[in-house]
Amino acid sequence: MRSSFLLALVALVAAAGPVAAPHSPSHQFTDFIHAPPMRPRVIGPDGRLRSPFVYPLRLESRLERRFVEDRARPMPLQFLSGGSIVSVAPSPDSPWFPLGTDALGRDVLTRLLFGARVSLGVAIASAAGALLIGLMAGSLASVAGNLVDEGVMRAAEFVIALPAIYVVLALRSALPLTLSPPAIFWTMVGVFALVGWPLAARGVRTIVAREMSMEYAEAARSVGASRTRLLLHHLLPATSGFLVTQATLLIPAFILAEATLSYTGLGFGEPTSSWGVMLQEAGRGPILAEAPWLIAPAAAIVLVVLTVNSVASRPAAVPFQRTDPT
Amino acid sequence: MRHGFLHFLIRRSALAVLLVLLVSSASLWLISLAPDHLAGFDIDPEVAAAERQRLKLDRPFVVQYAAWLSRAARFDFGESLKYGLPVTTLVGERAWNTALLGTVSLLLATLIGIPAGILTGSQRGPLAGFTRVTSVMLVSVPPLVTSFMLLLVASRTGWFPVGGFVPESAGAGEMIRHLILPCLALAVPLAATLERLQSQALREALGEPSIRAAIARGCSRTRVTWRHALRLALPPVLAVYGVLVGAVLSGSFAVEIVMAWPGLGALMYEALVARDLYLVAGCAAAGAAFLAAGVLGSDVALALADPRIGRSP
Amino acid sequence: MAKTTRTLLTLLVAAVLAAALWWSVGARTGPSPVAADPTPIQPGGELVATIRSEPATYNRYAPAGGRAATDLLTLLTHAPLVRINRTTDQIEPWLAESWASSADGLTHTLKLREGVKFSDGQPLTSADVLFSFRVVYDPVFKSGLQPALSVKGKPLAVRAPNPHTVVIVFPEAFAPGLRLLDVLPILPKHKLEAALDAGKLAEEWVPAKPLTDIAGLGPFVLSEHVAGQRLVLTRNAHYFRRDASGVQLPYLDRLILSVVADQNTEALRLEAGEADLMSNGEIRPQDYAGFKRLAGQERLKLTDIGVGLDPDFLAFNLRKELAKDPRASWLQTREFRRAVSAGVDRSAIVNAVYLGAADPIYGPISPGNRTWYDASVNKGSFDPAEARRLLATAGLTDANGDGQLEDAHGKPARFSILTQGGHNRERVSAVIQEQLRKLGLAVDIVTLDPGGVVQRWGSGDWDAMYFGLQSSSTDPALNTELWLSSGSLHIWNPSQPTPATDWERRIDTLMGEVSTAPTLEARQKAFGEVQKIVVEERPLVHFVALRVTLATSDRVRNPTPALQLPQLLWNAESLAAGPRANGGSRR
Repeated sequence: MRSSFLLALVALVAAAGPVAAPHSPSHQFTDFIHAPPMRPRVIGPDGRLRSPFVYPLRLESRLERRFVEDRARPMPLQFLSGGSIVSVAPSPDSPWFPLGTDALGRDVLTRLLFGARVSLGVAIASAAGALLIGLMAGSLASVAGNLVDEGVMRAAEFVIALPAIYVVLALRSALPLTLSPPAIFWTMVGVFALVGWPLAARGVRTIVAREMSMEYAEAARSVGASRTRLLLHHLLPATSGFLVTQATLLIPAFILAEATLSYTGLGFGEPTSSWGVMLQEAGRGPILAEAPWLIAPAAAIVLVVLTVNSVASRPAAVPFQRTDPT
Repeated sequence: MRHGFLHFLIRRSALAVLLVLLVSSASLWLISLAPDHLAGFDIDPEVAAAERQRLKLDRPFVVQYAAWLSRAARFDFGESLKYGLPVTTLVGERAWNTALLGTVSLLLATLIGIPAGILTGSQRGPLAGFTRVTSVMLVSVPPLVTSFMLLLVASRTGWFPVGGFVPESAGAGEMIRHLILPCLALAVPLAATLERLQSQALREALGEPSIRAAIARGCSRTRVTWRHALRLALPPVLAVYGVLVGAVLSGSFAVEIVMAWPGLGALMYEALVARDLYLVAGCAAAGAAFLAAGVLGSDVALALADPRIGRSP
Repeated sequence: MAKTTRTLLTLLVAAVLAAALWWSVGARTGPSPVAADPTPIQPGGELVATIRSEPATYNRYAPAGGRAATDLLTLLTHAPLVRINRTTDQIEPWLAESWASSADGLTHTLKLREGVKFSDGQPLTSADVLFSFRVVYDPVFKSGLQPALSVKGKPLAVRAPNPHTVVIVFPEAFAPGLRLLDVLPILPKHKLEAALDAGKLAEEWVPAKPLTDIAGLGPFVLSEHVAGQRLVLTRNAHYFRRDASGVQLPYLDRLILSVVADQNTEALRLEAGEADLMSNGEIRPQDYAGFKRLAGQERLKLTDIGVGLDPDFLAFNLRKELAKDPRASWLQTREFRRAVSAGVDRSAIVNAVYLGAADPIYGPISPGNRTWYDASVNKGSFDPAEARRLLATAGLTDANGDGQLEDAHGKPARFSILTQGGHNRERVSAVIQEQLRKLGLAVDIVTLDPGGVVQRWGSGDWDAMYFGLQSSSTDPALNTELWLSSGSLHIWNPSQPTPATDWERRIDTLMGEVSTAPTLEARQKAFGEVQKIVVEERPLVHFVALRVTLATSDRVRNPTPALQLPQLLWNAESLAAGPRANGGSRR
């Protein structure tokens, strides 16, 4: 119950997040480069409880990115006003940055919320594609003849061995300079699905082969069940656990791989704020020690993966009790 | 049995060679589609054209490929355009470095990941929960970020050198100092991946009727886990393991580049950036060779671990 | 999720966040007082410098010899006849100890220094100079230096009346004169003549051949090259230069060039004390805070050397092929380009990307180029109203009031900027994109790796490009490839057979004056006119010029910083190494 609630929450945030975002994702606050997060507080400067507020920031040194809290003028938080869930009374001096700002002075929380759609969209679609192809290839390899098995497995190795980045580079040279976002999206999903299927296929093939040799499978065959029915009703469900684990590994990998693709030019481009690109910028060099709040996308990815994981750990309704013993 | 095994080995080795050839050819072709290494503002276009002619890069791709193929048959993979050295020399040195890093990392990852997976797959206590959550977090944090964090620790504390590997520097101690950080950066996400896979596989195995029957019969849980369930849980992990071995040995280029570890992955990436045609093909070939070896190894282990997998893969 | 797991997760996340906050707070410690630099120069010792690429050839004359790594190596291991002192921007005698020029300025007689030997002990004679020129103009070898050593495509005539005199005759009047000899390292005839005669010079002085084949007249000798890792240079025992007190240069015994391709790792190496300086020595503004902290702890020295040269530019594609694009009716107009220049708030770029460490500029030459910068040209301001007016003149209006400008056919005004990914240029492009969005222009940013950018530029498949060029010299007459309409680096419309526009024809004529006028004032006046035309027509829009800060470890002594790259290693002979001031435990 709890896990599906979490999943629904994640989906809601991804779809409707932009509504809750305090700013525009491309707005650059040039006076607030790498501003730290502004924590909501409840204890006022005089030591007494009051309704939630934040202290505005003041720029002290631009080159050293040093900010100071202005304790003299606390800004109270307003709820459900001005078109957003939580906001601060409009003040030109210091907007509210719940999670700080990035290298161009853009609010991190906003970019996180807007980026959720892009990153999760690409990652989930790619993972689904990769798992689907892997499932088909793996089951084909294990139930069809020796030759097919050999062919599929060697093809899987070829795909793993060929550095995907070369493929992307060649693709980029062939494609026109500017691509529409749907074109970029589907090209990426295509590349990832084609790159991600071999691991899934190998695992599926092993599991299905093992299941096929079990008593229940032989029993079903002797009763006259066709290979397809056997596959669909009994063998493939046995791979569900493996596939979900694969999904929890593939999704974060694809979110990050999307950022690597951007280097060779196949990405969504500024000012789209995908989590992978945000992390790549954060991961460059010493900046992470000076601005640790830039790791927020990693925390978001962790949350998503944990959610998917917990959904997956539920007992699955599969025959022959593939239940979690614990 | 032995005859069949030998036959299997020969067939797979032959296929491995074919794989190496296919991968390097594909890489060669892909890179030739992109602009070559002489594109740049710092070279006069006429001079670049003359250089292209001298290096025989202006011939049609099929002609170039045929020339490369005939040389490759004699194990001459050409000369690197960026470094000016024979590709086999460069790749050889780097492959050794990557093999070192990869082997140690894999060992570390296995020693940590598999037991952790066994723990989380069979138990429910707070330790198992903590391990599970940590593992998921580590899988989700990019190796790029882990590498940089480790580098930061290195530069702030001075305990470790900031990347780089000095091959002829004296002694094993120096080498180990340089090895620790890249090894950690590579091993930690790998251990987390292995933990995830092992955990899930073991959980499923423990749900098998035969296992539950054994528990019902009164066998101790520990004994059942270690002797019976593990045998069932190993194959899917082994199946993926082979691929992981290959992937690691062909160089995790993010770690190698950030840590300045002179390995195959870093070389492959530099070759890509420089559009160094022959080096690209050479690196891809080496990577494919490692992968084929890794997969072959894991398939052999698989066949040995679970004869029920039946026909040799 | 089980309750225990969730509690643990929350605890873990909270712990991580708390640690991060604490770390970030702890990162702001104050600086400690700086001690004075006491010690006189001690010869000996070694320094480690980082380089971003490595040489594929050791021969500056080779076609690929113009690349940064080979150029740096040449500065360290070879010597020219005369050298441009990069701090004064004047020629100084080097291998030639004096020279006399004819009245018409075409014939120069140079007297070579006596007793100069190559690094292998062989003496330098005028025959080596003749040989070097022969390599430059050799039709089989096709040297990369030929364009630089030719005047309007014609070679210089060189003769050697005796072993210590060289006579150089220019085919036409050429104002820079002997300055162009700065790029010509003198080659040892005894090492390379045989190869040149056999037509195999391209195979010499490459990493695949032994390093002992190389002989040079520079302060160092290349003694080791480990591919992908480092180059080791040791002192040249036969180096001809001495310092003012007669001590033979160079001061250093060894100079190690460490190959670090990634700028972030380079910064970390410097912070950790594993490198003493960077060959491309300027630190990025985003790294400044970290470096400043270390400077406060006396582990690093920061030197501000003023405004840098070669500002980046936003170039527009003015090639004829683009005229077929329906957008050309506004994209290829002068009003559009001027609107872009007026409509971008340069201070936003200065503050957002460079954290204040840059100056806004409105012309093509940076104030750092003291000889050629024309201040009267560098005038402008942020004027969005003017920008809107200019865009309207170009035919772009917001008919439906949605904030997006459309052309006469109602199609939205949209164009792409091609730039280099992972670099500050990408960030500047993002700022430009945001600024233009407020005016109603939609911009797509396309990032590629540098090779990809240049290839797209060459193919003509681009609208606008934010990039930069590193000029080999401050003198524009030595950069004609950019300014002349026939030049291969005439970014907006290269290699034109005849000038496509009147203003480009005017620039061609003015550049002729810059190359041939007899006095510096006349040349400066002509080039000032060129700058005015560029500001009027805006084929290139320049936004900012960076202020350059160099970071060196505290072991570096006697640096002579200059604005042109490599800022410190151009004069490596006078670099010295001292002990660490802070007694740090590194290396």
